Amino acid sequence: MKLKKGFVIRVVGGESVVVPVGELSKTFHGMINLNETGAFLWKFYNEEHTVEEGVAALCGEYDVAPEQAEADVRKFVETLQANGFTE
Amino acid sequence: MIYDIAGLRIKIENRCSYTENFCKAYLSKDQTSPTDLSVKVTVDEFRAEKEISGNFSDGYVENICLYRNICKQIPLLNRILLHAAVLEYDGNGYAFLGRSGTGKSTHTGLWLKHIPNVRIINGDKPILQATENGFLAYGTPWMGKEGLGCNASTPLKGLCFLEQAPENSIRRLIPSEVSARLFTQILLPQDEENVVATLELVDRLIMNTPAYLLRCNISEEAVQTSFEEMTGLNYQNIKKN
Repeated sequence: MKLKKGFVIRVVGGESVVVPVGELSKTFHGMINLNETGAFLWKFYNEEHTVEEGVAALCGEYDVAPEQAEADVRKFVETLQANGFTE
Repeated sequence: MIYDIAGLRIKIENRCSYTENFCKAYLSKDQTSPTDLSVKVTVDEFRAEKEISGNFSDGYVENICLYRNICKQIPLLNRILLHAAVLEYDGNGYAFLGRSGTGKSTHTGLWLKHIPNVRIINGDKPILQATENGFLAYGTPWMGKEGLGCNASTPLKGLCFLEQAPENSIRRLIPSEVSARLFTQILLPQDEENVVATLELVDRLIMNTPAYLLRCNISEEAVQTSFEEMTGLNYQNIKKN
């Protein structure tokens, strides 16, 4: 799983914000707000990674139970795929 | 023709004469020196806007597209469009924001009615410029259907988000609360450089400008509530008789 190219991620007013640019901005209007975990995973999936790798990375970065991490990563990945944000 | 808008020299290449008349108060005396940016409207842009706007004249539709194209290029020049009404009192600017129908024009109308020496810089679509000392708000030819505003600028001292409520109250917003509210009131460009510049400018705006949530009705007390909190002055001492 890997995010499409064409998103800009920045911290605005202390909140992580993702905005599509170029071609992507024509099909997806608006912006995405990410919490801290979401911003971490967003950056992680800029490179090709599996769900399992995402879970391991999340557990390495945050004090979170593996079951919870897996549920979070699956939900995150499913949301990205449902919106067509992945390659 | 070349116009002086928001401290920039802007070349506008319009087909319809509507825009020349619309922008005439901003026409530059210097029509030869280099410009900061130039805009025109492509056939595709015009068609797309015409489809949305329906009944409006070609000149009006082109005019809307021209401002949008200006505003998508200005983030790299340290400026952004803000959907807000900006008033000036005592040399300081205050922006009022809210979705259409939340009472922006009603509340700013109350300021004009009850507070002396208030003027509207731009009633709908001011351009903000980031400077070393905070943001400046500029009047532009585009100032909403009521056409309220002037060719002037003012240092922006507060952002006031409006919500209708039976009782008047006001509180400061923290940056994360401002971020969510502000993004619905700005224009996001498409090209990466201008998007990045926009996000950086919005961040600076949030971090450098006090922001408030005003929950208000349409009474005089609503004006007192926003005026005193944002200016720090006593309303009773300054209000019109």
